Amino acid sequence: MHPWAWGAWLAGALVALSVTRNPLYLLLIWLCLLLVAQAWRTAGPGDASAAAGRLRPISPFKFALLVIGLAALFNAFTSHVGQTRLFTIPGRLPLFSGPVTLEGVVYGAINGLALAGMFAAFALLNQVLPVQSLVRMIPRTYYPVAVIASIAVTYVPTTLRQFQQVREAQAVRGHRLRGLRDWLPLLVPLLVSGLEHALQLAEAMTARGFASQPTQPGTARRAWLSPRLAILPGMLLLMGGWLLDLTGYGGPLGGVLAAGGAALVLGGLWAMGRSMPRSSYRRWRWSAWDSLACFGVLLVLAAYLQPAAQDGLWYSPYPALALPPFNPWLGVATLGLLAPAILTFLPWLRQADPV
Amino acid sequence: MRARLLDITILLVSTLSGLLALLYPFFLPALAGQAAPGRMRLGEMPGLMTALVGLCLLVLLAEAQGQGMQTKLVALLGVLVAINSVLRFVETALPGPGGFTPVFFLIILTGYVFGGRVGFLMGALTMLVSALVTGGVGPWLPAQMFTAGWVGLSTPLARQLTKAAAPALGRHAEIATLAVFSVGWGFLYGALMNLWEWPFIIGPEAQSWSAGLGFWPTLQRYAVFYLATSLAWDLAAALGNLLLVLAFGAPVLRALRRFRQRFTFVYQAVAN
Repeated sequence: MHPWAWGAWLAGALVALSVTRNPLYLLLIWLCLLLVAQAWRTAGPGDASAAAGRLRPISPFKFALLVIGLAALFNAFTSHVGQTRLFTIPGRLPLFSGPVTLEGVVYGAINGLALAGMFAAFALLNQVLPVQSLVRMIPRTYYPVAVIASIAVTYVPTTLRQFQQVREAQAVRGHRLRGLRDWLPLLVPLLVSGLEHALQLAEAMTARGFASQPTQPGTARRAWLSPRLAILPGMLLLMGGWLLDLTGYGGPLGGVLAAGGAALVLGGLWAMGRSMPRSSYRRWRWSAWDSLACFGVLLVLAAYLQPAAQDGLWYSPYPALALPPFNPWLGVATLGLLAPAILTFLPWLRQADPV
Repeated sequence: MRARLLDITILLVSTLSGLLALLYPFFLPALAGQAAPGRMRLGEMPGLMTALVGLCLLVLLAEAQGQGMQTKLVALLGVLVAINSVLRFVETALPGPGGFTPVFFLIILTGYVFGGRVGFLMGALTMLVSALVTGGVGPWLPAQMFTAGWVGLSTPLARQLTKAAAPALGRHAEIATLAVFSVGWGFLYGALMNLWEWPFIIGPEAQSWSAGLGFWPTLQRYAVFYLATSLAWDLAAALGNLLLVLAFGAPVLRALRRFRQRFTFVYQAVAN
């Protein structure tokens, strides 16, 4: 699937998770996330390349369970509101003393469910997209930043290997890690050899013409300078408009100024990007798969952002637990998030997939 | 000269704007007291703050990378960011006590030796790349990039402090200044990162942000929130930074300075 289609899918999932606290819809969104993760783990064409070079310190779904549990516990022990009392913490402990209620546990778990859903959606994006695609999604304006990020991503496995080599070499000499100072014979050689690599890399890049001077330096300088002349007043307008809007003086003027300022800043950044040359070995292609995934996202956004749905999306377990409302149409629309999972089962679409 | 002035002005305006947007929970009530009735849309403020600070990060990043970065600087930053990302991965896989993290040590020292611009890029890109390689990309990433970038951007201040402390502390002035600086950032990083999420968190009333309160009650609530949730965590971060600077500061500074000299040569075309 196209990386920008994944970006749209992520935006849809985040909006849906942000605007609802109804546990039934949250669970439905979670179900979609799990099914998409499962489908792409077993059938996703991009998975093998995505996994390459990615380090995983903790499983994102185990992490999500931890977040839900902690949020439920934290709210239950610090918020003493609700009618179904589970037990009481005695004494005068600030924050903690008082009744622990079932409503407190549920409220915390619902907030944890929404927060963990956001973590899981991002984790899924990290799982299905290769690091190279994420780096390539950095806008053209930030070309040097993208180059630095590419070098760093490439050098992380090298640095890990180098760290292992330094450690083995020091161990052969009888070095043992007993205290903080014992890390010095590992850290300094790692840093020095890394900087030596940087020098060699810089020479190789220069030899291949990276950052060479343009044939008409004056033109390049103007192309760089003029957008920045728009960014400065843009920032001032944006902040001035925002402050005016905060104070409420000037009517709609504040909002207009802030929007104009933001447009100037974004326009300036876009114009800066135009002076940055960028080429790619293989172009991404937009396929029918991507359009269908975006249609699913549009369905979710239309359902969750319509004013009529807002009351049913909100739910509070206080003062006493009650069943949350459920609109079947909204439930069906939520399944739009399943588009990437459904599409993995359609072979004629998978053939068109560029990743 | 004019281009340099423009650089500094954009850096200052975007930094101050970001700070102002971040601190809105404290001054919003004061402004709200003067506001015309019905004009305030307090519910929109957290989202607006995120958008504003995100925009400031974009401007700062574009400004810090400058026009046509030198090859040597690109390579240097790429490798240093890789080393720091490995340190962050080690910290994620084998968590230290509380908020202890080794990444700020190298950000502070790199900014101190190579300047604030390089420090900003080192901070912001360490967070970006370590998130990419550990699968940690999330809504918190712009906040981490911005705040870690500020850590690096502020390091030229430590040079001024070293100069001021030199007559009293002699050759120990540099490490002493960097130690104080890193302890300060240990707490400040946590306090600033909290501000990103504090207005969104629904918790006990005495710790939660509420739109209609005055400046002092808001500050009081934030102080309670910070003491209850973050102080012990940030104390471990600050002590970790202190230990790292005291144990490794001098040799790492020597290595970075040696390479700064080697990185400053300029390629010149041979005239035909």
